[in-house]
Amino acid sequence: MREIYLSGYNNFVLPFVIGMLFCLTWCIIGAARIILQLPGKDRKRFFLSLVNPKTMSKNIRDWFCDCLFHVKLWKRNKLLGYMHSSIAFGWFMLIVIGHIEVFLYTPERVHQIWYPIFFRYFVAVTDTTMKGSFFFFLMDFFLLIVLSGIVLAIIKRAHSRLFGMRRTTQPSLPDLIGLYSLWSIFPLRLLAEGFTADISGGSFLTKSLNMVLHSFLSDYMNMLPTWWAYSIALGIFMCVLPFSRYMHIPAEILLIPLRNAGISISSARRGMASIQVYSCPSCGVCIDACPMGAVKANTKDSTVYLNRQLKRNNKARIDEISEKCLLCGKCTAVCPVGVEGDKIRIAQRAAKKYNLTPDYSNIGTDAVNFQYNKKVIQKNNNVSSSDNKKVLYFAGCMTALTPVIMKSMVSLLEKAGAEYDVMDRDGGICCGRPMMMAGRIGPARQMIEKNTRIIKESGAGILLLSCPICYRIFKENYKLEGIEILHHTQYIERMINEGRLDIDRSDSRLVYHDPCELGRGCGVYQSPRNVVSRAGVLVEASKNGKESICCGGSIGSISLGFDKRRPLTENALASLTADSPDIIVTACPLCRSTFSRYADRPVNDIAEIVDKATSADKR
Amino acid sequence: MMENIFGFSISPSSAINMDKVDRALFEELCRVEPDAVRCMACGSCSATCPAAAFSGMSIRKVLLCLQRGKEKEAFRMMSNCMLCGKCTMVCPRGINTRRLVLSISRIYGKEDTK
Amino acid sequence: MKEIVVIIGGGIAGLEAASKLLDLGYSPIIVEKSGRLGGHVARWNRLFPDMTPAADIVSELTERTKGANIFLNTEISFINRLRDSYNIKLSNGISINTSYILFTTGFSLFEAEKKEEYGYGVYDQVITNGDLEQWFNTGEDHRISGKEIGHIGFVHCVGSRDEKARNSQCSKVCCITAIKQAIELKEKFPDAEIWCFYMDLRLFGKKFEDFYTKAQRDYGIHFIRGRVSEVSENIEGKVIVKAEDTLAGKPIKITLDLLVLMSGMVCSQDSTKTAGMLSLPVDSDGFLKSSDNVMHITSSPKNGIFYAGACTGPKTVPETLAEARSAVLEIHSHISRK
Repeated sequence: MREIYLSGYNNFVLPFVIGMLFCLTWCIIGAARIILQLPGKDRKRFFLSLVNPKTMSKNIRDWFCDCLFHVKLWKRNKLLGYMHSSIAFGWFMLIVIGHIEVFLYTPERVHQIWYPIFFRYFVAVTDTTMKGSFFFFLMDFFLLIVLSGIVLAIIKRAHSRLFGMRRTTQPSLPDLIGLYSLWSIFPLRLLAEGFTADISGGSFLTKSLNMVLHSFLSDYMNMLPTWWAYSIALGIFMCVLPFSRYMHIPAEILLIPLRNAGISISSARRGMASIQVYSCPSCGVCIDACPMGAVKANTKDSTVYLNRQLKRNNKARIDEISEKCLLCGKCTAVCPVGVEGDKIRIAQRAAKKYNLTPDYSNIGTDAVNFQYNKKVIQKNNNVSSSDNKKVLYFAGCMTALTPVIMKSMVSLLEKAGAEYDVMDRDGGICCGRPMMMAGRIGPARQMIEKNTRIIKESGAGILLLSCPICYRIFKENYKLEGIEILHHTQYIERMINEGRLDIDRSDSRLVYHDPCELGRGCGVYQSPRNVVSRAGVLVEASKNGKESICCGGSIGSISLGFDKRRPLTENALASLTADSPDIIVTACPLCRSTFSRYADRPVNDIAEIVDKATSADKR
Repeated sequence: MMENIFGFSISPSSAINMDKVDRALFEELCRVEPDAVRCMACGSCSATCPAAAFSGMSIRKVLLCLQRGKEKEAFRMMSNCMLCGKCTMVCPRGINTRRLVLSISRIYGKEDTK
Repeated sequence: MKEIVVIIGGGIAGLEAASKLLDLGYSPIIVEKSGRLGGHVARWNRLFPDMTPAADIVSELTERTKGANIFLNTEISFINRLRDSYNIKLSNGISINTSYILFTTGFSLFEAEKKEEYGYGVYDQVITNGDLEQWFNTGEDHRISGKEIGHIGFVHCVGSRDEKARNSQCSKVCCITAIKQAIELKEKFPDAEIWCFYMDLRLFGKKFEDFYTKAQRDYGIHFIRGRVSEVSENIEGKVIVKAEDTLAGKPIKITLDLLVLMSGMVCSQDSTKTAGMLSLPVDSDGFLKSSDNVMHITSSPKNGIFYAGACTGPKTVPETLAEARSAVLEIHSHISRK
């Protein structure tokens, strides 16, 4: 080993050093700002989580799995996964091994930040020893990995369809500069190290390149310009990084511990919302996922564009995008870095100013006297059950407009011999979720309080809901100690499992549509499928479960008009009918009425299907 | 009510004087919500509204009040709106009533009705 | 050789047109998809405003078209356009060559179950105008017979003037039909209270206003201006109807034993399907598009193809008959000009 230059410095390191320092300062100040922007309670929670070994080990695991290996992307798309992880992990390893080399060979140079990056220029190591050749091999190997990723990236830019992406993001100008500088960093590094390899040593890649280059370019003067070019590419990349999508690389490092600390979005543009926006890698997975994408004009309303507008602080577009969204949550579900598109939008809505704030203090909650009806049924002794619990059925606003669901549910409750009463037979107070979705948290809280009081005084053991919109807010925001909250799909499943409903299986093919709020919103995927397959032959939609397509009727959208929703519904129907089912089954009154408007076959709620398949007198 | 010195009271005229109604705000509303004038007053929204029982909420009446210069009455009705979306569901004209309510809450009531 | 005119649809428009074509010495062929003639009118009981029995009209028309070629249970398989005529292939294998086609394909009643909130097909107390006429004819309907009926409601505009039901036009005849049916029900159940929930009463025809006055004065039928938006069921098995009394400006709720939905008129799917074979245009209301809505309501934009009756929009019986005659005259002058 010998150092070629005693000073350990050459002017060509300047672009890199300037870029690096700029980028580091920017990121540190940014991170500090975001942490300061967090509400005090959250900040404390964040710091505590950093000393908690459990969350810290999760942080480390997530850093590796998400930032370096892109595990989520691998699961979704192998080619994209390889592309991203080869660049990220390869680059990471180059940096790490570069540092190890500095530590091993020239420990006194550790404080010179350019040293590990341009190590080959400054230090010559013999590559004939085991130790030397090992490091040379590793460096060349990871460089090759990164280069393969870059090749894929270039192909993807030209033919995104080869990667299974129908649409991809249109890059902004800083994105493009970042992109081209990133693409050029590694070929330039290869070239620079190639020119230097006969002095510094090298392995299969650099050494062979060196030989090729020397066969027609045997001048050592070529060495310096390539090192300059390499450094300039790095410098440019570092300088545009804060203004381009590559900001996601440092941002995600902070997002992961914040998320693991359990911090949620509490402000439209600050704290958690801000770090999520900067963590968006503009990969465009959300563009294809967005149900509004069925109409091409809506492409620019997907989360990736919202994030871009948020960075640019374009108020008009931010408003437009956040009010249009159906809040189906699919972009959140598929996002590889965990940007919560729906919650960011609700936060934007919450930041709007209104001159009128609803006030429900005039609405009374007393004088509700529930009389739990119970049909006297001869019971089988072997029926063990939870039927000693009184069931309070809250059908919900939307169910009032699809009375068939309520009628089927009441019929099932009677067949099962449950002790039940209907909370809103004569209308009631809204659950508050629609208000919450409009970003008006205060009025929603008031409604939650009113309903909580009614339910707590009702003496019910189970609160049964037919509408997933209600179900979600009852699960997430209501505090009903001692009262079990069930969606009717879960309750029906329980009644069947307890032997309280005798169900006859038919041969009809039933496709189950996952309502957004029940599936992605509350994670209830299996209960409805269990029930449907007891009533008929369950078939799946081409997009189901987490990937299910919103029916288009969602009240999550504020601005999407009635006529604008039809293509979205038709697109969702096309996915549902892919396997030619006889009946479309759903578990949401809103989905039911939206689908039945345009469907070419019957659309039923799960309760209707089960009610038709069960006989009253079997027990 | 104005009380005069003899203890009689005379009510101000309850008739609507369209000459005195300022339509500027409603026109502003129509610019953002062209649907505001498409209501055919069928009453579906009022019948289904869960807030109707409490504050007499009816988006049909709100629109009418705003056009007749009775903003305070409109705001009183809207104070109980739960934004549940039932009216949007039943409206035969497909009017986006939820956004209408939000737009009214933003455009009107800047000074006095607060 | 006598000129052949193919009439698609054996409802009253088709029958009337055939009879007039016979009078003029032509040779009409009626193609009817169902097994009987008379269309919707044959399923009706009595007609406003004079309570004429519908059966009389259908039998008179059928009598007058005895000389025509009639294919029942027959559909159009396809139509080929030749140079100046059309080749029509029927589902029974027969193929006809003609220069003149008259569309009298009529309408369909809106499927009331699509208005989910009204609970048709869910509640046993909810029927449609079509069901009621059927009951007038046969006296058989478990939803009406053998029940104590004290309170009856009529919902106007079910699937009419309703963009959500994808049908934004007024069906024109439901208002007067509701009044007619309300009177008839009052005659059957003299003690019953009857409420009509309307959006606007559109009573435009001869003697319709008299009918309305009679319903109010002589039969005590109540009219409430407001569209029904919710129907629920109570424990006693009655339906609770919610509407707004828009004239009082207050929500209104009423418990009923029977609710009649006035299903509106929509263009029948078969009509648009057959029109599609000839690439005839469909108007924004979903009905077939005439070449002009004032002067040439019976003409299509295509040579030799004519319309009569409700295939171009909701119409009353007299209007339909008059249109059938006018279409025949139009065809006649076309043939004479040749």
